[in-house]
Amino acid sequence: MNGTNPPITTEGLTKHFGRGRKKIQAVQGVSLTVEPGQVYGFLGPNGAGKTTTIRMLLRLLHPTAGRAFIYGQDVAHHPGVLRRVGAIVEGASFYNFLPARRNLEVFSRTADQYDPARIDALLAQVGLAERKNQRVKGYSTGMKQRLGLAAALLGDPDLLILDEPTNGLDPSGMHEIREFIRRLATEQGKTIFLSSHLLSEVEQICDRVAIIQRGAIVREGAVSELLEARTSLRIEASPLDTAAAILSEHWPVTTNTTWLSVQAARDDIPAIVRNLVQRNIDVYQITSQRQSLEEYFLSVVSEEAPHG
Amino acid sequence: MVNLFRAEWTKIAGHRWLTGFLIWIFPIGAVAFTVVLAIILALSESARTSFSADTVTWTETLTGAWSFLNNPLGRLLLIGFTAVMFAGEYQWQTWKNLIPRNRRVALIVIKFLALSVFVVVAFALMSVLLTAGMGLLRAIAGASYGPEITGDVLRTTASDYARSAGLGFLSTLIAAGYAALAGMLTRSILGGVLVAYGLTILENLLLVGLILIAYFLDFRDIVHIYRLTPGYNLLNLDSWFRVGHSAPFEVMFGADDALVVRDSAEFSALVIAVWVIGLISLTIFLFRRQDITS
Repeated sequence: MNGTNPPITTEGLTKHFGRGRKKIQAVQGVSLTVEPGQVYGFLGPNGAGKTTTIRMLLRLLHPTAGRAFIYGQDVAHHPGVLRRVGAIVEGASFYNFLPARRNLEVFSRTADQYDPARIDALLAQVGLAERKNQRVKGYSTGMKQRLGLAAALLGDPDLLILDEPTNGLDPSGMHEIREFIRRLATEQGKTIFLSSHLLSEVEQICDRVAIIQRGAIVREGAVSELLEARTSLRIEASPLDTAAAILSEHWPVTTNTTWLSVQAARDDIPAIVRNLVQRNIDVYQITSQRQSLEEYFLSVVSEEAPHG
Repeated sequence: MVNLFRAEWTKIAGHRWLTGFLIWIFPIGAVAFTVVLAIILALSESARTSFSADTVTWTETLTGAWSFLNNPLGRLLLIGFTAVMFAGEYQWQTWKNLIPRNRRVALIVIKFLALSVFVVVAFALMSVLLTAGMGLLRAIAGASYGPEITGDVLRTTASDYARSAGLGFLSTLIAAGYAALAGMLTRSILGGVLVAYGLTILENLLLVGLILIAYFLDFRDIVHIYRLTPGYNLLNLDSWFRVGHSAPFEVMFGADDALVVRDSAEFSALVIAVWVIGLISLTIFLFRRQDITS
């Protein structure tokens, strides 16, 4: 029955904390769909509502309004469907007084999915096999993150919800975990819902992203489409000031010492050339530059920021 | 459910400092008591004479060990232990790992059960060690340690023991109920322990408050509210089980005017049952609606 249902669907998911004047609208009407096998990036500045949304997906928070579905089942009424989900929420937390292996035993037994062989295999997979009997109290943040990933994979879940999974890792550790996550999607067909501050990381591994700001989704789409639509053009022309004045009538322009950066799509190049040539501007070169996800994110966030 | 129970057990047993200081201290204390007393008896003739003069039976020792769980100090230790195990899940931020894996109701009910069984196991061990130790001490002192083991004695003792252990189990459930509510309220171990202790101390001070109200408002019947507290009923039931009569409380309103309250074992059993069911139900109700934000 669940085979055709998307791993995640939310319909108008809303969460308010407090009441009256103290009311905080943490999430407002978030609707999104994550398709099977996707690596879906969930981006937003601090306090935008990412973790609150994730907590509602995992039944840790009760939505004020709206619904969250996992594989087509409303998590509020069918919490059992969450056994198909593995998650790390706001960093990995453990019983520090227990060894790593015991922690995984507790979590797997809680889910009634205890399999000692799988625990050992996962510990080996995340590079903690030799320190599995050491108490988590002595683990570094990076080791805890790895253990968190092993904990998330305990029940061989179809869907992984990872909130900042590379926090506290060094660059090589980040690369390793990034590759690991990508492989989980490509080789094992797992669906991954990833929240991260590291936009280069998201750009490298995500197929699709949603940007959330002040509790609402402000952009959503395939990474390639979003970035394609936001190409900028680097224009070398003379005189530069006149060219900037002409183009700024139609497009946002940033002037540099020897060139202009114009927020326009590749399809706009003929019109730009016509505009400039008709007004006797000499055009030397126009190159199309795709924005990085980081640039895109920053521009979206600044566009959506309250002015005043 | 078996896996969930074993998960809880692993957590409880794995917290060695906590269980060591608040739970295992009882069986360890039983052994230490035996060793110290054995040394004294071995060295002192007068101690042996005095010790022999006391009438001690193995049946009373076996069941009497459980009464510690029902007195105020025992309950404070129990509450400290259970408060850490409930509030700890908030402070360690581990609920977020557990709640998606199982139903909230099951998580809470099994926690109550596992904590109570753990305490009962520790006290069962303590009662056996204490009984065996006392046998050793009686032997050193050359004193009797009856009654003789017969079928009837075994049956009666088994029945008394089961009732005492059951009462210990209920006492732990009530302590865990206080602790669970305090833990949920404060979401921290220290806060949970302090609030749970506060609730227990308030319960103990309730009688004083009621007596003052009775004096000042000239409304003596208000004292009867104390009959509904778990602490009084645990002691009353313990008294019925061990010595066969109630543990009355007496309030003097004048030189010749005393209010003596005695309750049957059935009454106390009913009140305790209401408390246990009420506390667990309230915990479940609140926990099901609670947002886990840490």
